[in-house]
Amino acid sequence: MSDDSSRPFASDQAQELAAVLDTLIPPSEDGRMPGAGALGLVRRLEEICEAGADLRPILEGGLTALSALARERGAGSFAGLCEDERPALLEAVGEHAPAFVPTLLFHTYAGYYQHPKVLEGLGLPARAPFPQGYPLEAGDLGPLERVQARGRLWRETGESDA
Amino acid sequence: MSEEPVDVVVIGAGAAGAAFAWSLAETRMRIVCLEQGDWLDPSTYPTTGLDWEARRFGDFGLSPNGRGRPEDYPVNDTGSPIQISNFNAVGGSTILYAAHFPRFHPSDFRVHSLDGVADDWPLDYAELAPWYDVNAEMMGVAGLAGDPAGPPKEPTLPPVPLGRMGDVLARGFDSLGWHWWPSDSAIATVEYDGRAPCINLGPCISACAQGAKASTDVTYWPKAVRAGVELRTRCRVREITVGDDGLADGVIYYDADGVERHQRAEIVVLACNGVGTPRLLLNSCSARFPDGLANHSGLVGKNLMFHPYGMVTGIFDEPLESYKGPNGCCFISQEFYETDRERGFVRGYSFEIVRGMGPGSTALLGLANGSVPWGAGHHAGFAELWDRTAGMVAICEDLPEEVNTVTLDPELSDSDGIPAPKITYRLSENSQRMLEHSVARGQEVLEAAGAKQTLVTAPLGIAGWHLMGTARMGTDPSRSVTDPWGRCHDVRNLFVIDGSVFVTAAAVNPTNTIQALALRTADYIKRNLATLLD
Repeated sequence: MSDDSSRPFASDQAQELAAVLDTLIPPSEDGRMPGAGALGLVRRLEEICEAGADLRPILEGGLTALSALARERGAGSFAGLCEDERPALLEAVGEHAPAFVPTLLFHTYAGYYQHPKVLEGLGLPARAPFPQGYPLEAGDLGPLERVQARGRLWRETGESDA
Repeated sequence: MSEEPVDVVVIGAGAAGAAFAWSLAETRMRIVCLEQGDWLDPSTYPTTGLDWEARRFGDFGLSPNGRGRPEDYPVNDTGSPIQISNFNAVGGSTILYAAHFPRFHPSDFRVHSLDGVADDWPLDYAELAPWYDVNAEMMGVAGLAGDPAGPPKEPTLPPVPLGRMGDVLARGFDSLGWHWWPSDSAIATVEYDGRAPCINLGPCISACAQGAKASTDVTYWPKAVRAGVELRTRCRVREITVGDDGLADGVIYYDADGVERHQRAEIVVLACNGVGTPRLLLNSCSARFPDGLANHSGLVGKNLMFHPYGMVTGIFDEPLESYKGPNGCCFISQEFYETDRERGFVRGYSFEIVRGMGPGSTALLGLANGSVPWGAGHHAGFAELWDRTAGMVAICEDLPEEVNTVTLDPELSDSDGIPAPKITYRLSENSQRMLEHSVARGQEVLEAAGAKQTLVTAPLGIAGWHLMGTARMGTDPSRSVTDPWGRCHDVRNLFVIDGSVFVTAAAVNPTNTIQALALRTADYIKRNLATLLD
């Protein structure tokens, strides 16, 4: 069992964060695309916090504000709300923690679309570009005959240009 | 701590420093290059991992202010709508450049004579052409002969593939009867000089793990080092020192351990780009040069030119596979390159086709413009955008103005305590008009190609990657910092070989011209060694 005590977020905070992520990017209706909360992106956010970015206080402040709003609605936590109620709370939290959702969106979008399960869902190979790379069609150079037919386009300077 | 004197010290191991050092190495002089960055390991480059897009916002970001790399120096660019982009490593900014590699046009050297603005260069296209040819051999330039938009030249390698996206966009240019031509690209499209061929990874601007892109760490430097040039990395120069005779006699730098050293040299060569070079000259004050070294004209740091970029992205109904292939190299259009005063501005611009985005960048674009919302509509919004984007940047010619400057920031400094550069820049009315014209034409051609929607960003704030004009060359010492060979008027053993010497900016990426000029200066020194300091 891993020791979580040194991680930026306590387990209840991590649970809240995962619920927020699933609200930002929920699973697709056809089941092809997973929700962001189920992909382990909380751990990625923790790594960014550990790297010294300014992210941690923004996330902590947002989570605190969210919990307070959830309690006002009679739930013990954001995760305790039903899924239909969550978006309204994320809209409302901006009044109390204005940087929370915009900052989280940036990191969520960036992290989500590099995950192997998401790449597979998009029909892409779940791998880095290197070393296989990609094939690419040469394309049609035939129309360049028309471009050449216009003749010289560059401007003369009266010197030994070429 | 003082070092054994050398013949030549070159500051900066980027595009210009590499080409110059390689060329001069045949003299067998003792040449030392000091580079504040290090050799990079391509196996750690972004495209080797799934997080390749996210790292563009991290350690391979364009701005030195957000990268968190210890070798970078900060830049105060809050006084400019265009922010500085550079990279410090062996290879310099060629590590991140797009490798779009066009030449200047003949008219670019005669701006004053032809259009009555700025100044003419003290050389012409024909004089530089042989050095473009040498550089093409060394860097390996892919392209297609026969482009009617410029003087004849023979690319060394086959052109980069257009791909499906290129075909779609070319359709728009053809329907309007506009010029387009496969890009001159410093990319090995086939195996070349020990470099593996391009495999269409996509983000050349996050460094090339394949080694196909011609960054100078894989082109000039291996040859220069084999020829005897000593390349010292993680060495940051603080100032250039001057002897009693008024000549530069060396540089003071901090080595990899932070130890201050004094490297003496007979010739000092600056290759630190259009921001780093004036910064170093302005930091090199003395009783003889109280306003900065070689600055009797008062022009060191003035006339800063960028290329204001207009970016136009089209959203199409068809899949484009545009995330594959060199992202800055597909084709170019120079339909609006030469002056036509009826457009409301002088000089002109190039369109450079930019390939599309990976999934992460697509999502972030959609986040920014509201088309990929969070919540229930997320996946539908993303599906509308994914693999449906392609577009172009307009590279607009900037004209030199003394109000656009690099100065020293009174408070900001780097980790060695060396004052950092401060950028003060505004778009001229001519540039603003040109930008407006370019994005309108960009929208027109994308719509002609079938785009159902276009998105415009102008000026593109991140696009401060072409840094020019801040130690301009010329024949009149009161109106220029260096002579036509890059030799400082005030200090005859001090040379500048980077984009600082540009008199005007043209409307194409400058690296090819920077390197051609550096090769020309090296040749000048070689031919005049016996009398150089007389």
